[in-house]
This record gives sequence, structure tokens and C-alpha cells, in this order.
Amino acid sequence: MDRRRFIKICAGSAAALSLGIPRVWAASYRDYPRALLTDIQGIPIKASSLGTEAAYLFHYPYKGLPCFLINLGKPAAANLALMSDPLGEESGPYNWPGGVGKTSNLVAFVAICTHQLSAPNKSISYMRYAASGSELAGTPGKIVCCAHGSVFDPVVGAKRVSGPATYPLLPVRLEYDPENDSIAANGMAGHQLIDQYFKSYKRDLIQEFGAGVYRENVGDTTMTQSLSHYSESIPAC
Amino acid sequence: MEKEQGLSRRNFLKLGAASGALAVGATAVSAGAIAKTLPAGKIKAALPKAKGPRLVIVGGGTSGLTIAKYAKKEYPKFDVVVVEKRDMYSSCFSSNLWYSGIINLEFLADHSFLDAARNNNYIYFNATVTGLDRSKRRLITNEGEIDYDFLVVAPGISYDYEKIGVKDVGVMTALRQTYPGGFVSPTEHVTIHRKVQEFEGGVFVQTVPSGNYRCLPGPYERACMIASVIKKNKIKGKVLVLDANPQITIKQAGFHAAFDELYKDIIQWMPSAAVTGVDVEKKIIHTEFDSIQFDDAAIYPNVRASTLIEQLGLMAPSTKSNQKEANIDTRYYNFVGDHRVYVTGDSRPHPYSKSANTSNSEGKYIAKVLAARAQGKEIPWESPRTVCYSMVDADPMEAISVSAGYDYDAKKDVITGFSKDTKLFEDRDEAKGKATLEWARGLYRDMFDA
Repeated sequence: MDRRRFIKICAGSAAALSLGIPRVWAASYRDYPRALLTDIQGIPIKASSLGTEAAYLFHYPYKGLPCFLINLGKPAAANLALMSDPLGEESGPYNWPGGVGKTSNLVAFVAICTHQLSAPNKSISYMRYAASGSELAGTPGKIVCCAHGSVFDPVVGAKRVSGPATYPLLPVRLEYDPENDSIAANGMAGHQLIDQYFKSYKRDLIQEFGAGVYRENVGDTTMTQSLSHYSESIPAC
Repeated sequence: MEKEQGLSRRNFLKLGAASGALAVGATAVSAGAIAKTLPAGKIKAALPKAKGPRLVIVGGGTSGLTIAKYAKKEYPKFDVVVVEKRDMYSSCFSSNLWYSGIINLEFLADHSFLDAARNNNYIYFNATVTGLDRSKRRLITNEGEIDYDFLVVAPGISYDYEKIGVKDVGVMTALRQTYPGGFVSPTEHVTIHRKVQEFEGGVFVQTVPSGNYRCLPGPYERACMIASVIKKNKIKGKVLVLDANPQITIKQAGFHAAFDELYKDIIQWMPSAAVTGVDVEKKIIHTEFDSIQFDDAAIYPNVRASTLIEQLGLMAPSTKSNQKEANIDTRYYNFVGDHRVYVTGDSRPHPYSKSANTSNSEGKYIAKVLAARAQGKEIPWESPRTVCYSMVDADPMEAISVSAGYDYDAKKDVITGFSKDTKLFEDRDEAKGKATLEWARGLYRDMFDA
């Protein structure tokens, strides 16, 4: 059902059409209840107020699943065919639709490194968006993982640039409301990694969010804050 | 224990006669009196019937556990069995951090073989390998025989005390028990941890062997961790690093900076000071030029492939490896002439860094090789990667790191050295200090979780 729905969504996309052949998009986006991104007071965030220097963190679609919201300050590339986990149950190509917002400058990804699952928590984040560059990435505007040096490019769907990761960060689907200048999340892809993450971090997640709470849906809204506000420490590799 | 060993030796003798490669070590056997207790080689291991091509992996370290998980992912038809002699895991990597109190033992050991196997759909079989019959594709263990379709042998390293001038078995045994190297088994880590906690002053010797030893930065990192304890507790003592090499073997600038800036009066590094003998009782260590009195020590002798490689007849001739490593194909790791048997991890003869991250990345590639070969295919060679951090300060945690790949020369069929994209990060900082912990956690997740 998810796959069917996904194909429907993709049917209109330029990438799917340009291939000229019917494709099965192996890594399907799944629809999740729409959640409006708010600030820590619960007021909807204004896209135009987002800075470009660092990532924002929100949880979606589950209370314990950390995602990055990034204002690229420029348009993201659109309609790219990316490859998901080559060893996963849903291995294969998927469509990266591009950014949303006034200049297609807003993108979101699950903030879990696809190499060995490093992810932000309240005390530390080994993952960060290094807008102005880093020792590890060399070039500016990359998402870097401090643990083993994987580097991802958010402009092209968080595709791997270098390091041991073998596939992109998981995409989170956003929608933008130009009238209110607001952003909402409404879907994502790559459920297998999420399952792995929840299993792998179960003890930590129970401690940080409470038993079972980390697996609950976030609800109608989800709190968005700067990564440095959420995580006490962000090693700058 | 003795009985089993005698028995297996006999068994092994029989096999050796056939293969011709196993003359070494067989002479010392006097197993005649023991032979009646068990019918040699007749017991089948208590394992379910294989549901697909059986891939047996010897060794549940970084290499073995990575290959077990990823071979199953690459080719789900594989019926994977990991044969591991330990019943409790504890990693060698990151163990230095325990000595300075950055981590506790749980960090290293709170990882279950049972969970790894259950999460990744293979079988953990707690047994010790005693023999191999390649003609029958049969592995012999103290818990019975296991027939394989593919065999991966990943037993790690053994120490080579002869290379530091210790040829007497009695001295070797005393040395191993009293001043362990701390680069093979968890029980050595426990002993060194105690030594560091109980050190009240004087000279603590840490040796660095020559050759391609396990964890190149390990002894230097350990010197830093011990020195950090000495510094913190204001002990009147020093760490004497006796280095067989003329230069620090890796992350030179980073370690020199740490030695000079953090531990100026605590760490004394002596280059080209290969150990030539040890008087265990008198606590005197000999080098070519000096005889040094010490108070405590961690004596890291030279390294060779696990003795199991020799015992199973998989050892390369000395012209190919001077560390008794395996005689395997440079790119595909199969024993030369046998596409059913592979040797991986630190028993390999490659000039790769003998380290966890190398084995982890190598393991993912070998999983692909095995999956391809099980389906009659071949794949292109991939270099392993060596990403490794070294903690140089404990408070605050500060580390340096390296990210390396390797180049292959097809004409000569050898690994020629580090690849161009190799990078060193030698300015110690807290970011890398924290990353050092996450580096290890990532490896544990990769090996033990789904």
C-alpha cells in the first residue's frame, strides 16, 4: 500500500518520466501524519527566519527520531534518483524531490548516520551540518559524521560524498505553506533503518524519552530548535 | 583439557601427513595414552542441518562478526555459523581508554555473542578449533566436527616472544603472565588495568615492537593514558616507551606533541630500542644498548598470525610473510589454491593496519566476495579503510586520528602502501576525543546489532 501510494506520488515527477521506462521505486516514501514545525514555545516557525549556519533539529514522525532541517540558503537540486541501502529490504533507487520553500532552499533528513547509526541525543551530536566547512569535509555546506568520517551533501539529497557510509541519509518529506511561511513534515522513506535505530538504541531511548514513548507519533506539531540548543555538545570534526 | 589437545593433535597429525604442510609442531605429541577416550573425528557438532551453503567462520572478533552479519545480508541463502572459543566478548579496541578511567569494562564487554547471532540470523557456536580437513571440507573442534561449504578463518594474532630475544619457554610463560602485552585477550587488559591503578611510582615500561604489529598507535596511546593517571595522581613516576622503531610508527607529529606538551616529565620515548631480552624476576629489560631496571611493565612483543593458522596448515612460507601469516590471495583472501577457505582479519599477510576498523571495512568487502563466489561470480577488489582515533589526553579527552586507504599494484600483485586520499588529523582536540568513543560504539553496533 505504501509502495502503491508512493508510485502515485512519483508518477508526476520529472525524474520518473525522464527515465522513460516504468520503474519500481524500491525505497518508498511512507505517508505519516502531518506535523507542523514549531519553535520551542509551540509557535509555528517562519521559514524566512531560519538561519543558514547550522542545522535545526526536530523529531519526526516519532518522538524519538531525530531529523535535521537545513536552510541551504540556495535551491536544492530536484528530482534526483538516489540509491537506498544496497543491503536493505527496500534496496534500490528512490526519488529525491528537492527542497521546499520560497527558493526550494529547505531540506530535511533523518539525522542518523547510515554507516553505523550515530545520531544526536541531548548530551551530544556526532552529526552536524557544517555550513562553513570542517576539517573532515574540507568543503563547506556538508553534513558530517564525526564517528568515522562520513560526509553527505544536503544539496543533492544528502548523498554520500566521502567516508564509509554507502548510501544517503534518509529523506524527510516537507511541505511549505507560502501564505503562512510555515513548514510541515508529512512523510519519509527508509523504515528499515529506523527499526534498526530503535532496536540498537532501545536502552538509551527509554532513558531519554520513556518506555515506548520514543515510538509514538509526534502529533500535529513538532518542536524545532537549533541543534546546539538540543545537544549539549557538538564535536566539530 | 590436555586430553582434548592430545587428541586433536593426533587427528591433526593424520591430516598433516596428507597435506604435507603441517610438519611443524607435530613432533612434540605423545598422545598415545589419551587416544582411547574419544573416537577421533567421529563426533558431529550439535548444529542444525544446514539450510543453504554453510559458511563457517572461525573467530568472533571484528573480522569474524562483521563477515558473519554481512555475508548473510549479501547472500541470505548462506547458513552461517560463527565458531568462537570465548564465551564472553570484550573488545581489544578501545581497551587503552579503560586504563585512564575514560570508560569502564562494560563499555568493552557489554556485547553478547548471542545477541549478535540472533539479531543477524546466524549461529554462535562456542567451541575451540583443533583441526581442519580441507579435502573433506571439515572443521574439527573440541565440540565436534562441522562440515562447511565455505570457511573463513579469522583468529587474530599471537605473540612472537622469540623476536624480542625470549626463546626459553619458561621465561616466555613468566613474561606473558607477569607483564602481558595487552593486545590479545581481555584477561591481559584486566591485569594491565590493575597495574596502572596500583602503580605507586618509579618506571613503567611500555614497549613497542617492530614489524606490522596490531594497532600501530596502540602502545603510544597507552603510554599517554598511563601518563595521564600518573599526572592526575601526582605520582613520582614515568612511562618509559622502549620503541623498536627509529620513529613513532604512525601519527608521529600528534604523539610527539602529546609527549612533549602534556607529559614532558612523565613520558620518556626511546627510539631504536628493540627489546633483546627480559629478566622477569629482577625486573630488568635489555635492549641492544641498555639494561633498564623497571618497576612495572606492559611488554608488547612482536606479533605473528594466530598459531591456529600454522596449526591448520594455512601459513605462508617465510618468503611471503615473516610474521607467520596466512598464504592467501592478495585481493580475494582465499587460501592459495582453495576457493573454499579464506583467512581474514589480523592473520592476513597484507601490510594493512591490524586494527578493528580495517577488519570491519575489509569484512564487508569479503562478505561480498563470498556471496559472489557462492553464486559462481567474481567482483572487483576494494581497499579496506583504516579510520582510527588515538586518545592522547584523558582530562579533557583529546584525540588525534587517521583515515587511510591502500593501493594495489596489479603487476606485482602486492599492496604498495597508503592511498592518496589518506589523511592525518594530528592536532589533538576534544572533538576527536569524543569521536573516539563514538567510533567504538559504532563498531559495536555494526557487529552486534541488526
